[in-house]
Amino acid sequence: MSGFDPERWAALSPFLDQALDLSDADRAGWLASLSDRDPALAHELAIVFDRYRALGEERFLETDTIADLRPPGLAGTSIGAYTLVSPIGHGGMGSVWLARRSDGRFDARVAVKLLNAALIGREGDERFRREGQILGRLTHAHIAHLIDAGVSPAGQPYLVLEYVEDGEPIDEFCAKRGLDLNARLDLVLDVLDAVAHAHSNLVVHRDIKPSNVVVRRDGQVKLLDFGIAKLLAADADAPATRLTREGGAAMTLAFAAPEQLGSGAVTTATDVYALGALLYLLLTGRHPAGDAVQSAAALVKAIADDEPPRASDVAQPLSMRGRLRGDLDTIVAKALKKKPDERYASVSAMADDLRRFLRREPISARPDTLRYRAATFIRRNRTAVALAALAAAATLAGGVGTLLQARTARAQRDFALRELSRAEAVNDLNRFVLSDAAPSGKPFTVNDLLARAEATVARGRYADATRVELLTSIGHQYAAQEEYAKSRRLLEQAYALAQSVPDPATRARAACSLAQTLGNTGALERAEALIDEGLRQVPDAPQFVLDRVFCLQRGSEVATNHDKPAEAIDRARRAGDLLAVAPVRPALAELDSLIILAGAYRAAGRLGDASATFARAVPQLDALGRNDTTRAGTVFNNYGATLIVLGRPLDAERALRRAIEISRDSASDDAVAPNLLINYARALSDLDRQAEAADYAARGRAKAEAAGNDVAFGQVLLLQSTIRRKQGDLDGAAAALAEAEPHMRRTLPPGHVAFASLQSLQSLVAQARGDTASALVLADRAVATAESVVAAGRGGRDYLGTSLIRRADLHIQMQHAAAASADAARGVDLLEAASQQGTLAATLGRAHLTLARALAAEGRAADARAQAAVALRHLESALGRDAPDTHGARDLEGAAAAGR
Amino acid sequence: MSESPRPTIADSETLFASLYADLHRLARRELSRSDGVATLGVTTLLHEAYVEMSAREGAAFPDRARFMGYASRVMRGLIIDHARHHRAQKRGGQFEITSLDAASAAAAADPVELSRIGEALDELSKTDPALAELVDLRFFCGFSFAEIAAMQGVSERTIQRNWEKARIYLYHAIRATLDG
Repeated sequence: MSGFDPERWAALSPFLDQALDLSDADRAGWLASLSDRDPALAHELAIVFDRYRALGEERFLETDTIADLRPPGLAGTSIGAYTLVSPIGHGGMGSVWLARRSDGRFDARVAVKLLNAALIGREGDERFRREGQILGRLTHAHIAHLIDAGVSPAGQPYLVLEYVEDGEPIDEFCAKRGLDLNARLDLVLDVLDAVAHAHSNLVVHRDIKPSNVVVRRDGQVKLLDFGIAKLLAADADAPATRLTREGGAAMTLAFAAPEQLGSGAVTTATDVYALGALLYLLLTGRHPAGDAVQSAAALVKAIADDEPPRASDVAQPLSMRGRLRGDLDTIVAKALKKKPDERYASVSAMADDLRRFLRREPISARPDTLRYRAATFIRRNRTAVALAALAAAATLAGGVGTLLQARTARAQRDFALRELSRAEAVNDLNRFVLSDAAPSGKPFTVNDLLARAEATVARGRYADATRVELLTSIGHQYAAQEEYAKSRRLLEQAYALAQSVPDPATRARAACSLAQTLGNTGALERAEALIDEGLRQVPDAPQFVLDRVFCLQRGSEVATNHDKPAEAIDRARRAGDLLAVAPVRPALAELDSLIILAGAYRAAGRLGDASATFARAVPQLDALGRNDTTRAGTVFNNYGATLIVLGRPLDAERALRRAIEISRDSASDDAVAPNLLINYARALSDLDRQAEAADYAARGRAKAEAAGNDVAFGQVLLLQSTIRRKQGDLDGAAAALAEAEPHMRRTLPPGHVAFASLQSLQSLVAQARGDTASALVLADRAVATAESVVAAGRGGRDYLGTSLIRRADLHIQMQHAAAASADAARGVDLLEAASQQGTLAATLGRAHLTLARALAAEGRAADARAQAAVALRHLESALGRDAPDTHGARDLEGAAAAGR
Repeated sequence: MSESPRPTIADSETLFASLYADLHRLARRELSRSDGVATLGVTTLLHEAYVEMSAREGAAFPDRARFMGYASRVMRGLIIDHARHHRAQKRGGQFEITSLDAASAAAAADPVELSRIGEALDELSKTDPALAELVDLRFFCGFSFAEIAAMQGVSERTIQRNWEKARIYLYHAIRATLDG
């Protein structure tokens, strides 16, 4: 063998370098000029280049043939402007080849997909090319560009794609490098950006899976095959054939969304699902449907029906679980919803939440725990301890009014901004607390939430003014849960901190919130002082009107607790009046005003006004969507209680039933307050449904006893006595009263109006036994007790009226006609004064009936008939046509008429 | 063992032997799974060999480029040996590397021609070792210009120019021999 000898080669080498950089034509000129200077060298080079041309024609060492492997037939084949070099992959769709441009001097490399011709839809080549062009316009740093799509003259459909060198499927990339959570999320965010870009160009990927999301060695992520699934599925009949086409390739199916398995439309939500599955995989190391080898059928079932376990429950390594718990669980679960419209509305929304998570901000997605998990839990276990949905609603409802309704076009901007920024801080907190709510998967209580909120505020960095708002909001909500100690602790903090806040309104709110809680715990003098302080501090300017309203409302509640009903009504009315002329009227504040005013009326014994005000509040509750909140439950309970006292048991039963449904809606009867059960029993008893009443009373009694609620326990004993008496169980009735008396003496101050009830009921039992003498003694005591309460200005007019009517009944039985009609007339007057004009009530009806009987006994038939007519009107309306008392009134009216 | 010293000449012999065995083994395994589905190319085979080698305790290659340089020489030897062997047992039907490279050098080139190329390359590796290595990588192992350029840290243009020079050298050597 004799090639160039080394010296010769060293001499020629630089000239070869020069010559090889020239074109053939230029090289001829170059050789000519060289031959002038060095003819021998030029001659030698001319021979070299003659041979060079020959070796070119011979395709000497033509490497393509060397590098080509199986299938040998295709290597070197030209597809469009590309020459296939070597196969790099093979799959259900066809084979993938590395290729380079046929016409370029350099290797511009691409990936060419040779597709099974059968995959192209019936509509054929033209559509394939057209769709390909659309996809070709999709350019994004993280999308492997589709360069060309077409069908070769031989009928071979092909796609030319950007070649991603050394791309590794994203899951393997993450696993091999042991990437931490943030690095994984950063990669996923790149993917989401790419998908969002495609979606904004109306292209859905349809087949996102780890093998289509590859990461280059430099960490750049690339999405492959964007939109190609659609390109291939020309016939929309695809879902069924999809499975066969992919030959049961479970890994591809594994990332299909539920709607891709059935006949559901494939939309951007389909990609959201697949991205959720991908995220799940990257966070947990396993597929949502589990890793066990499964048949395609089992997988289909899992995708369509099974809820995947929480990511944080299955993640490996275990150390990952802590950070997944909460927000990431929520984000993944939202993306993986079975119903497309329950998933993130867009890929960007999902990305936003991930970014919020990374910034440690509250995410937008609400965890399943709120409705879904609570619902499932309750379905499984009716005796659940906590009411998730109710808790959430309560927390939100307790926040500062957020429903701003601009009533005038020139609503003052300052005002609106003030309220909005306040509302935002509180809402953000609520959202944050709720989104992170139930890490253990157990339902949570309102107190859990509030404790969490408290801890969040304690940890967070807030401006003083914001912190005051947040502490006030949480303290306020604790008060709504009757957790007064906790409420007071937070509100004292807020009040102290507020002193350094320059905004007078913030100071005023802190003072008035604290006052309210103090008012509920008996510190009434300080509460009053704080209300005064708050009202003095609020500037008299339109932008502070809601702060003034807030203080007046709290002041009304304090006055009610302080037994100053007139003051309570006055403050509640002033709050309502201010709202009526406010530039912006938060609907929630208006609702609050009505509820507080109704409470003030009720405390003042103005039951008609109270009932009318409650009646106005109910439609507002509905309109605001607050009709299933704990507050609505309270409103309906108080409304019902008012109606009972008003003697409208039919209406009361409806209101109280609604209150019970609200409480029970999200949990078991365990959540229903004892007072409410007892009130309901009372309404049923008034409606002569004694058996049901006895049942509810027994439940209320057990709850009151368990809760240590002395007032309710005393009440229910009195009620049980009434029910048993009406059932004819006089011993039982007497036993209940015998139990009630020492209990009431222990828990109530002497001379309390409740003793009038006790004595009156004792009288009724004696009367039922036929012991009229004892009955009269007891009836006298009841009237005397009520008289002294009224004389002391502590209300009790309705008790006195009722006691007088009952004594009148006794007098009638004892044939003391004059005494009977005197008591009855006074009783009617008192009860009419206590109720509102025109209110048709059973209490009043019964009073009129008693008066009618007393008048009849006196022989005053016309007066008796008139009273019986009034009684009938009241009783028919309040109790119904068939109630025993209604019959009594009707008989009396008829008898009186007949006797005339 | 984390320090990887540059291989000495003596090391090289050992490495060659071990590489040869490895590549044989990898090729065999590739064959056992090549039932009409994807078949790895020689390049892939070498990448894989590199991954395995570098995972091995005390691997002696300072970098991938150097490994590829050695490996491509091993591959050249495998292919030429095989071409000769294949011709000797044309119908032997034995389990051999031939099947792997059915469409590559051994099949495409006349074994005599291949032998000559091998000899000319041995000569070139003395005159201009970089060009010889380029031929091993390109001709015997099927690396693309871009890959080689990236591996060696030079421009693609340089690789392409060197490739043409190597062709000129080898063609000259072989034709000069034939022309006598």
